[in-house]
Amino acid sequence: MNFEAIIEKYTVSILDHRIKTLIAILLLVLVATAGARFLEAPSGYRGFVESGQPNYQDILNLEEKYGMIDTLSFVIKPNNGDIFQKDVIQLIHELTEVSWQTPFSSRVSSLTNFQYTTVDGDDINISDFISDTDLMDENSLQELKSLALQERTIVNFILSESARVSFVNISLDVPEDTGFEDPIEFANEQKAYFNAKYPDVFVTVAGSAMYSNNFQTTARSDATSMYPGFLALIIILSYILLRSITASAISLIVIFLSILPSMGMAGWLGFEAQPPLIIAPILILTIALAHAIHILSIALTNMNEGMDKKKSIVESMKINFTPVFLTSFTTAVGVAGVNFGKIPAFSEMANTVVIGSTFSFILSVTILPIIFMLMPIKTDGKSSVVLNALSKLGDLIYRFKLYIITFIGLASLLLINLIPNLYFDDDFDSYFDRVDDWVEVKNIVNDEFGSSFFIFANLSSEETDGITSPEYLKKIDEFARWLETQDEVVTVTTVSDIIKTLNKNMNGGNNEFYSIPDNKPLNAQYLLMYEFSVPYGMDLKNQMTADKSESRLLIRLNMATSKESIEFNERTDEWIRNNLQGYQTDGVVGIPIMMPYVYQENTNGLMRGLLFSFSFIVIVIGITLRSLKLGLISIVPNVVPFILSYGILAIFTNIVTFSHTLSILVSLGLVVDATIHFLSKYKKAESLNLNASDAIQYCFKYVGFPIIVASICLFSGFAFLLQSSFQTNFILGGMCALIILIALIIDLFLLPALLLMFRRRNVV
Amino acid sequence: MNKFLLILFFVMFVNTNLSSEDNFEKGLRIAKESYESTRGYVDSESDQLMILVDPKGNEVIREISGKTLENDDPNDGDKSIIFFNKPKDVEGTVMLSHTHVNDDDDQWLYLPALGRVKRISSSNKSGSFMGSEIAFEDFSGNDYRKYEWEFIGEEEYDGEICYKLVSIPKYKNSGYTKRIGFTDKLLRPRMIEYFDRKGELLKTLYFEDYQLYNDKIWNADTFRVVNHQNKNKTIYKWINRELNVGINKKDFEKSSLLRLAD
Repeated sequence: MNFEAIIEKYTVSILDHRIKTLIAILLLVLVATAGARFLEAPSGYRGFVESGQPNYQDILNLEEKYGMIDTLSFVIKPNNGDIFQKDVIQLIHELTEVSWQTPFSSRVSSLTNFQYTTVDGDDINISDFISDTDLMDENSLQELKSLALQERTIVNFILSESARVSFVNISLDVPEDTGFEDPIEFANEQKAYFNAKYPDVFVTVAGSAMYSNNFQTTARSDATSMYPGFLALIIILSYILLRSITASAISLIVIFLSILPSMGMAGWLGFEAQPPLIIAPILILTIALAHAIHILSIALTNMNEGMDKKKSIVESMKINFTPVFLTSFTTAVGVAGVNFGKIPAFSEMANTVVIGSTFSFILSVTILPIIFMLMPIKTDGKSSVVLNALSKLGDLIYRFKLYIITFIGLASLLLINLIPNLYFDDDFDSYFDRVDDWVEVKNIVNDEFGSSFFIFANLSSEETDGITSPEYLKKIDEFARWLETQDEVVTVTTVSDIIKTLNKNMNGGNNEFYSIPDNKPLNAQYLLMYEFSVPYGMDLKNQMTADKSESRLLIRLNMATSKESIEFNERTDEWIRNNLQGYQTDGVVGIPIMMPYVYQENTNGLMRGLLFSFSFIVIVIGITLRSLKLGLISIVPNVVPFILSYGILAIFTNIVTFSHTLSILVSLGLVVDATIHFLSKYKKAESLNLNASDAIQYCFKYVGFPIIVASICLFSGFAFLLQSSFQTNFILGGMCALIILIALIIDLFLLPALLLMFRRRNVV
Repeated sequence: MNKFLLILFFVMFVNTNLSSEDNFEKGLRIAKESYESTRGYVDSESDQLMILVDPKGNEVIREISGKTLENDDPNDGDKSIIFFNKPKDVEGTVMLSHTHVNDDDDQWLYLPALGRVKRISSSNKSGSFMGSEIAFEDFSGNDYRKYEWEFIGEEEYDGEICYKLVSIPKYKNSGYTKRIGFTDKLLRPRMIEYFDRKGELLKTLYFEDYQLYNDKIWNADTFRVVNHQNKNKTIYKWINRELNVGINKKDFEKSSLLRLAD
C-alpha cells in the first residue's frame, strides 16, 4: 500500500469514527488548556537571563552580600526653577517619610534624609540633611543648595548637577518569585497624590523595578491592544479568501483549538508571560490558518468541480497531508533554533510555538475533516479571477524566466554588498521606547543624570576588618577615581568617601584632612562612630559586609550601547588586573553590564541555531521530496528573502539587534512552508509527466492561491506586531513581515523560473 | 424567678466589677509590673558577646564589656558604659550613654586612635547596634514608659501560658510601628515580634537563658534575634553578669571617660 492509500484509509476511518475522535481530541485540548492558569507572572529583566550566565551570577553574588540591587525612584522636577524651593523640599520631605511604607522597601534615601555630618567643637552630629522644613527661608535654601552641591555622595545620586531634578530612591528586597507590582502600585498612588497636592512639581516613578515591571505592563497592553484587532482581521481575511462562512468558521475553530492548548502547555511547563510570549499566539494562529486554508481550499475546489463532499475532503487530505506535516515540522524546527540563544523568555516563546505547531497539525488532520463533514458547506464557485491571474502569471514566468533570475540575482548581489555595513549592537534601555510615559521619564533622567542605572563593583580585602586598612581604602579610592575618568561613568561613591568626610569633620572641618588616615584603628573607629550615629535603615549594610572584609562601589553610568558597555567592562577588567593585585573582585556588575553579554551570547547562539535549523530543514525537504535537485533548488528561495531583507535593512540602519537575528529563525520555518507546498505539487506534476509550462500552471492552480493566502495572513500577523510597545516585538514583527513579503515574491517568481531553467536540461 | 434575676444581676455586677480594668490598662499594668520586677539592681557589670550570622551561616564575633547604673529618677533612663574589646581595631573605644525615656539619648564616644572624646548624634536610637539586628532601642524595650500597651489575651508560648501584649512606641523616631510580645506569668518577656514602618514583620527577639540574679531579678542572658526580611541573625550573650557591685557613680560622667579608657 502506498502512502496516499494509507492517508485515504486513515481519513475515511476517522470520518467513520468521528464522535470518538472528536471526544479524544477535545479531551486532549482541554487537559492541555487547563495549564494556562499556571502561566507565571513575568520576572522582568531577570526572565531574559539564564541563571547560569556569568554576569548574572555576579549580580546574584552581590545581592547575597548587600541585598537586592533593584530600586524604585521617585523623580521630582519642579516646573520652574530648581529643587531648592520651600514647597519642593517639603514635598521631598513628605515623600521620603511615606516611602518607608513602600512594600518590600529596605531603605529610602533622599535629599532630606541624607546622613549629613556637621561638627561643633567636640560634638559630631550625623543627622538628616534637612529635617525642619517649616523654618526654611530663601537664605537657608540657598545655603542648603551650595552645601548639597559640594557633597559628592549627593550630586548625581539624589540630586542632579543642575539642581533641577532630585530623586527619592527606594531600595527593594522583594522575595523570590514575587514581582514588583505591590511596590509599584504604592508608588503610583503616591505619584498621583503628590502631583495633585503640588501641581507645580512633576513627580514620577523610575528605577530598575519600574523598568522591570514594564515587561509585564507591555505584555498585558500588547495582548489587549493587538489580539482583538488581529482576530477581526483574520476573520475578514479568511472569509475573503475562502469565500465561505462555514469554511471560515472551521478555520477559526482549528485556530482556537491550536492556540488554547499551546498556551496551556506553556503554563504546565512553568513559562513566564513575558512580552515575547505575546507573539506565540499570533504565530500559531497563522500556522493553523495556513493549514486550514490549504486543506479547505482544495476541498472546496474539488467540490466546485463536482466531487461529493466526503471524496473532496479525502482527496484534499491525500494531497495536503505530507505538506501540512512537513510545514508544521519545519516551522517547529526553525523556531526551535531559538533555543540555541541564551534568553529564556524567547526560548519559552519559541517552544510554545513548537507546541502550537504540533497541535495545529494534529487538529488539521483530525478535527478539521470531521467538522468539514459535520457542517453544511455551500460553495458559490470560487472566483476565477485569481486563478486566471495566476495562470497568466505562470505564462509570464515561463516567458521571462531568464530576466527574472537575472533581475533578482543582480538585486541580491547589490544588497549583499550592503550587508557588511551591518554590525551587532543593542541598547536594552530602548526596549520601552515605544511607551510614552516611560520615554518621558527616561528623557528627564538621562538628560540630568546620564542614565537611570547604577552598577556596582565589590572589592574584597580578603581579610576580616580589612576594609579599614589604609592600603585598601586608598586602592578603592584610586579605583573609584579611575572609574570617574571613563566616559561611561558619571560618578562613583565608596566607603573611602565616608572615611574622608569623617576625617575632615573630626579635625574641625578642615579641608586639609579630607583624606584617608594612615591609621587602621582610627578608620575602624570612625566607622564604628558612624554606625552608632545613623538611624534605622541608614546603616552601611548596603556598602560593606558584616565582617568588614568587603565593600562595594556604587557607580552611576552614562547611557551606553552594548558595544560601549562591553568595551568599558573589558577596560575595567584590564585596569583591575594591573592595579588591584591582592584584592578579589568580580569587576563591574549590574544590569547594564550583564545585558550586552546576554545579547552577545544570544546572538552567537542564534547563529548556531540558524545553522542547525537551516541544514535540518534542507535535509528534511530533500528526503521527503526524494530529490537532491529539488533539495538544492529549495535552498535558493529559502535564503534569498533573508539576504534581500537584510540588504534592505542596511539601507536604513547599520545596527542589527538580537531581535533582528531572531526574526530569521522565527520566519525561516514559515518561509520554507511555501517552498514545500510548491515543490511537493511540482513533484506531483512531474510524476504526471506534464511539460514544463503545464507543470508550473499545475502548481499555481493548486498552491498559488493558498501560498498567497498564507503569506498575506503571516504578513498581517507580523505587521500587527508593529503596534507592540515592546521594542523587540516591534523589530521582530517588522523584519518578519518584510521577509515574508519578499519570500512570497521569490516563491511566485524566482522559484518557478528556477524550476523551469533546471528542468530543461533533464528533459530529453 | 426573682431569685434568678437577683443572681443574674449579681453575676453581671461582679463581672463588670472584675473587668473594670480594660485591656489597655491591663496591658500597661503587666508591662509595668514586668519592668519593676527588674528594678532595684543598683548597678551591674558584665562581659558581652555578640555573634552576627548571615544567611549563609558565616559568623562575625564582637566582644564588649559593660557597666550600667540604675537611675532613681522615675522620669529618666539608666546610664551605661560600653568598652569595646573586639574587633582589635576598635579595642579601647568606650561609649557612655545617658538614656532618656522618650527623648533622644546623650552619647559620648572615646576614640583611642584619636585620643579624644566626641559627643555623637542623638536621633540614632532606631539604628543598628554595631551592624547587628539589634537596635539601641531594643535594649531598653522592657521600659513600660516607652510604649502604649494593650493586653490581647493569653496564649501558650514555649509550653507556658503567657500574656500576649501589643505595644506601640511613643518615640517618634522609632524604627517600629508595633511590637507583639509574650510575657510569662513570672512577668518575664519571652519573645517579641517587631513590625517595621510599613507594618510588615521585621524581626523576632527571643529572650533565652533566664537566670535569677541576687534571688530576685530575672535576666535573660541571651537575646536571639532573627530578621525575617534580610534573613540575618544576631545572638547577644551576657557573661559573668553581676548586679549591685558598687560602681562609682562618677564613672558615668563624661569627664571620667578619658580616665576609664586607660
